[in-house]
Order: sequence, then C-alpha cells, then structure tokens
Amino acid sequence: MIGLLGELTDSLRRFLERLGAMTRFFGQVLWQSPAVLLRFRLVVEQVYNTGALSLVIIMTCGLFVGMVLGLQGHDLLQRFGSEEALGTGAALSLLKELGPVVTALLFAGRAGTALASELGLMRATDQLSAMEVMAVDPMRRVVVPRFLGGVIAMPLLTAIFIAVALFGVQLVGVQFLGVDQGSFWSQMRGAVELADVNEGLIKGVTFGIACSLIAVFEGYNAEPTAEGVGRATTRTVVISAVVTLVLDYILTALML
Amino acid sequence: MNQTPKPAGAAAPSVDADNVAALHGVDFSIDGKVIFRGLDIAIRRGEVTAIMGPSGTGKTTLLRLITGQLRADSGRVLVEGRDVAGLSRRELYAMRRRMGMLFQNGALLTDLDVFENVAFPLREHAQLPERLLRNIVLSKLQAVGLRGAAQLRAQQLSGGMARRVALARAIVMDPQLLLYDEPFAGLDPISMGVVLRLIRSLNDALGISSVVVTHDVREISQIADSSYILSGGQVVASGTPAELREHPSPVVHQFMDGLADGPVSFHYPAPDYPAQLLDRSEGA
Repeated sequence: MIGLLGELTDSLRRFLERLGAMTRFFGQVLWQSPAVLLRFRLVVEQVYNTGALSLVIIMTCGLFVGMVLGLQGHDLLQRFGSEEALGTGAALSLLKELGPVVTALLFAGRAGTALASELGLMRATDQLSAMEVMAVDPMRRVVVPRFLGGVIAMPLLTAIFIAVALFGVQLVGVQFLGVDQGSFWSQMRGAVELADVNEGLIKGVTFGIACSLIAVFEGYNAEPTAEGVGRATTRTVVISAVVTLVLDYILTALML
Repeated sequence: MNQTPKPAGAAAPSVDADNVAALHGVDFSIDGKVIFRGLDIAIRRGEVTAIMGPSGTGKTTLLRLITGQLRADSGRVLVEGRDVAGLSRRELYAMRRRMGMLFQNGALLTDLDVFENVAFPLREHAQLPERLLRNIVLSKLQAVGLRGAAQLRAQQLSGGMARRVALARAIVMDPQLLLYDEPFAGLDPISMGVVLRLIRSLNDALGISSVVVTHDVREISQIADSSYILSGGQVVASGTPAELREHPSPVVHQFMDGLADGPVSFHYPAPDYPAQLLDRSEGA
C-alpha cells in the first residue's frame, strides 16, 4: 500500500516536472515567435510540411466521416420524420465538434509524429548540437518555425475537413438517400450562426497550439537514441489525443 | 615542439598569446560521475593538437567545454584568452562563429543538399549576394574534393564523404579554431587518409589551429604537432608523438601500443570469478 502510494507520488511529481518543463518551453517558443515571423519563409515551409502534406489524409477521412454522419444522421432523423434537418445537424456537429477534434487527432497522428521524430532524429544525430556550435539557435531556426507552421496549418486543415465532410453528408443524404436538396442547404444556412463557426475556429487554433507544442517539445527533448525517438513519437500521439479531448470538453463548457 | 613528457598533475600550461584555447584546473562531473579532475590543457596557435585517451575518458566532453555547450564545475576554460563561463549568450555565439567543429557522424542537416549544408552558416550569419555565396561554398567544396557532389542529398553520401562535407561546412566561416570529434571513426583506409591529409593541409593553408579528439594513435601521430593523453579525468602525458612513444608511464605505453590489458583493465570491475560461478543464490 505504501509502495503504491510512493509510486503514485513519484508519477505525480514526474508529471508536474514535465508540465513545468513544457510550460517553460512554451514561454521560450512564444518569446522567439515574433523574430521567427520576420523570416516568414521558414514558417511557410513548415505550413507546407505539416499542412499540405496532411491534406490527402485529412480529405479522405473528412469524406468518410461525412458519409458516415450522413448515414447515421439520416437513420436517426428518419425516426422522427425530420430528414431535412440532416444538413443542420451535420453542419453543427462538424463545425462545433467533429471537425476540430478529428482533425486534431489526425494532425497529431500525421504531422505531430513527423515533427517529433524529425526533431528527435536531429537530436540523436547531433544536428541540433551542430547548429549550436555554428552559433545558430535551434529553437529559433528549427523549433519555432515548426510550431508556428502547425498552428497556422491546423485551422486551415479543420476548415478543409469540415468542407469535405459536408460534401460527404450531402453525397449520402441527398444523392443516395433522397433528402431534399433545397431543405438540406436552406435549413443549414438558417440554423448555423457565426458563433458556431467561431467555436470551431477557436477550437482549431487551440488544438493546433496544443498538438504542435506537444510534438516539438517531445521531439526536441527526446532521448538521443532510437528508443528515445520512438518513445517521443508515441508520447506525442498519446498526449495530443488526451489533451485534445480534455481541451475540447473545457472549451465546449466555456462556449455553450 | 620542445615539450618534454609530463607526468600526471603536471604544472598548468602558461596563458600566453601562443595559446588559442586553454583549460586550467577544470573539474567536471555528470550525474555524480567525475569526468575531469584538475584538467590542464593548452591548445597552441597554428598547431594540430591531438587529444587521445581510452573510450569514456571524456574527450568529446572536452570539446563541448571549449564550445561552451557544457560549463565546467570549477576551473577556467579560456578561448582567445576569455573565460567561456563568463560570456553572455551573445558573446558565446560570437565566439562560436570563429570556431568550426566536425562531429563524429558529420551531423549534416538531412533536409538539405550538400551545397545548402555548406552554405547554411553563411545564410544564417551573413547577408551575401547569391553569386558570392555560391563561389565561397564551391571553393570550400573544392578544398575537400567534393565540388562535384554539391547537388547530392546528405543521405546519398558515404561516411567519408559526409565527414568531408561537414569539414567544408566547418571552414566556411573561416574559423580560427577547428575542433574534430573522432574524425577517423568508421572510415575505410582511403577515406581515413583523405581526412588525415585534409586536417593537416587545412590547418596550414588557412593558418588556423586544430584540436583532434581521437583514439587512432597511429594516424594522428603522422600529423599532430603535440598530443595529450587523458586517463582518469587528468592528463597523464603530453608532448610530441615521438616523445609519447618513449614515455615511461605504463598507461601511455598501454595506450600507444594498443595493449588489451594493463593499468586500464580489460575487465569491467566485477566480483571474484570462481566465487561468482559457485554462488548458488544468484540466477537460481
């Protein structure tokens, strides 16, 4: 019993240490961000690496999430005889919840792991040390551009995910299951407000900050071995997923 | 070199204009493990200085102390007469611009090609016209014999080529001091010969000072002006390669002749062998 308590205390201490280190790291990243934004080319490269290269997976998943939403939504609404509300229901659930959350999970799996393993390998192969010796700050040259690239890419990916998913809903609901096209779009336009779009946007940006920070933190602080890089990559996905879902609850509770 | 072989705990090297870098009474430990105890080393200007010693004696740590990536627990690490520990971040970075370092595996940036790897320090520190930058990079690549490989990706290079590209990158800012971390490790004899000649010729042609950390005694003896042998966190001998070969210390003798056993034991500390074999409680 005492042993278990000791382990729990140790785990809590390690968690708090890690949280403290990440907060400090976040402060450094924010401090250096204005200077890095002046070299915007570096950030644009990373928007391409994290954003454009994630497009295929985001669009594919968006399409299928939308199609499933179309099937399930239609099945549910049919029971109440209100299939025309499919567009409204799908749009609100995608804008407020599914879009940002699923995009963040996919982003962590695709771009987050790539960032963490890239930085971890740079650490393991002395590339970051070499930069330091060349009087180049790796935080400014490598970490912050990747972080900012992720933060910019994430809301854009969320918007694309939502647009493609809505197409998927429409494809199944209107084209396959015969929901009236006019009602589908007009009800959606009538029900969705700017606040709903803002909620999705705020979530997209917040998840973008969280997932990008976790990825660069884990990668930059990875143990410089093959195992260490692997662990950093795994931690990136796991922590990003948990943090995304916790933040989602907090943001939803705040904005409702 | 008129230095005579020195025993452990020899007097500190004098600080004068002849030394581009020097360590005085440096103590350093990591996680309670003592790496250096009162280490004294002088890197003389214009010379190739070899730092040798068995694995795990902190040779790479020594380079990291000189570059300011690590701070000594006590003692002084002087570069160009200034204590590295007393430098601000800005001053430290300014000092590093006058240094080049060749990492053991080259440490090339894998997302860039050979040309951009060599151009990297220039792009970061100097706003040069593209044409001038190109000419500088090509001249450095020519110096290491790899001008024709400018467009190759870092991953396409062999170990020896990567080391040479890293060398071109290390000299692109025209440093005063070049640090080499195990430059011969894992190289075939031809590549080793090439790197060996480059270290000497670059040192002389550019008028710089070089520190070569290695345990390849035979190779480095061909080009080093002076050498230090580290063991147990201290300098056990220093002098020219010829002087070291005649050194009376058994550690130096074991190291220079590559003997498996001697003062540096072949066996890692362990309990008595027969007693351990007969011990039934262990591994039952």
